[in-house]
Amino acid sequence: MPVSPGYVSREAVTNLWRNRLMTVAAILTVAVSLALVGSSLLLKQGASKATVQWQNGVQAIVWVNPGASPTQVSSIGTELDQYPYIKHCIARSQAYDYNEAKAILPADESGVTTLADYPSSFRCALNDPSQATAVYQQFVGKPGIKTVSYPGQQIKTMQSVIRILQWVFLSVAVVLLLSASVLILNTIRMAIFARRREVSVMKLVGATNWFIRLPFMAEGLIQGLLGAAVAVLVVLSLYWGIGLDTARTAANQGNIIAQMSLGGWEVAGTCILVALVGVVVGVVGSAFAVRRFLDV
Amino acid sequence: MIKFQNVTKTYKGSTVALNDCSVEIDKGEFVFLVGPSGSGKTTFIRLLLREELPDSGRIWEAGKEIGHIAKWRIPYLRRNIGCVFQDFSLLPNKTVFENVAFALEVIGRPKHVIAAQVPQVLDLVGLTKKRDNLPHELSGGEQQRVAVARAFVNRPLILLADEPTGNLDPTTSLGIMRLLDRINRTGTTVIIATHDAGMVDQMRRRVIELDRGLLVRDQAHGVYGIDSATAAAGAGSPTGSMAGHAPTGASAGGFPDSLATRT
Repeated sequence: MPVSPGYVSREAVTNLWRNRLMTVAAILTVAVSLALVGSSLLLKQGASKATVQWQNGVQAIVWVNPGASPTQVSSIGTELDQYPYIKHCIARSQAYDYNEAKAILPADESGVTTLADYPSSFRCALNDPSQATAVYQQFVGKPGIKTVSYPGQQIKTMQSVIRILQWVFLSVAVVLLLSASVLILNTIRMAIFARRREVSVMKLVGATNWFIRLPFMAEGLIQGLLGAAVAVLVVLSLYWGIGLDTARTAANQGNIIAQMSLGGWEVAGTCILVALVGVVVGVVGSAFAVRRFLDV
Repeated sequence: MIKFQNVTKTYKGSTVALNDCSVEIDKGEFVFLVGPSGSGKTTFIRLLLREELPDSGRIWEAGKEIGHIAKWRIPYLRRNIGCVFQDFSLLPNKTVFENVAFALEVIGRPKHVIAAQVPQVLDLVGLTKKRDNLPHELSGGEQQRVAVARAFVNRPLILLADEPTGNLDPTTSLGIMRLLDRINRTGTTVIIATHDAGMVDQMRRRVIELDRGLLVRDQAHGVYGIDSATAAAGAGSPTGSMAGHAPTGASAGGFPDSLATRT
């Protein structure tokens, strides 16, 4: 026997209203936990975007001793060209590096060195940023080379900070999702208790099990969906609020938020996922309550 | 219609509720199930509703062996069985009409069927004027009439009543019995578990007596207690031949005259 959707939704809404305080509590818990899930997903996506951006900009810089002979310098240049993971290298003169240092470093630091002390360098763009370490190991200590520098450490630190944040977010979200399920289970249990007479009459006159179950499950579904809707609003306001929708431009290279910028589709995907988790939490919580307390 | 074959049911840690009980009830019969508390009457009813399964033995109901019915088909079995209880089990926040209509709604009957059948059955139980009252605005007898109407609105093959008059005074009880008798005349098999000796004695219908789970008496036109009245009734055909139990027409039941004139 098909169960009329009109009947199911009417019953579910009546039940929710009768039990509105618990309903609000359940919806809010779902909302908070799903908002955390959504934001951590957003953060993760933004972080991996930004990491890719930073890594593409990674350069290994081979600093050449100021005293190195021209032969040494040219042999370093030839060797650098041999490695497949090095895209190309640009040789910079002592004067260029000295002027750059003067521009970047504070006066008291750049003032202590002279042009003659300053190393010249090879600025090497890499095919794969993760090979920066290999370049370091390959060249550091070779004759004529002062040192090799690359920003790998900073990126690693950034990545691990983001990873830790993500884990914290996710574990808090999982705990909250569990408590949301339990709250939904409890509201359904109270609804079942409030209607136990009705349920027993329904069983007696031959209502099918699904006819009895569905309104309660719909109730859980509605709670999950409403909670998810609130969470989606939170995720969207986070997206627009902190400016994750800003397009990346040359001008905002230094802006970390702009580097994490996400497209509309990625945010839509996150929202859909949040809604789905809300549905699952609602249905699972209520299905469990129905199985456990309805005995049909 | 109903057949128990060597049915035994024991509850955990207690005595035997039904012990090797064999009985047959034909279509259209009117049967009293009597015996002291704990004799197995309610277990008998619960087995028929398939709320319990027997430990051993077999039960047929409406042509099906109910031990073999899949769990999801139980609701469909129950649609053939109307049920009335001592506590009426009405829904307090629904009107008389809604209470009766509820039985049809939950089995998915369309609105026009409900609109046609509910007034009919309310007329049968004499509550047409009270259709918009809530249960607490009715007397006990009226509430039980609503319960009977709800049990009968789906035109079940069998109507079970567990102490239907247990909460009612004798006069009101007579009214309910009269109603059940009238329902029986439509061809519905009626089984009533009761303590109400006066009622059983007046009605002179088939009596099945249980005592500590044992079927101790099955009598065609019996009375409540086993005493001299049994002989006086002259119809003490013991267990067995059901041929004597013709489907109850108006003539079959010795309906007391006092009831026939009562409204």
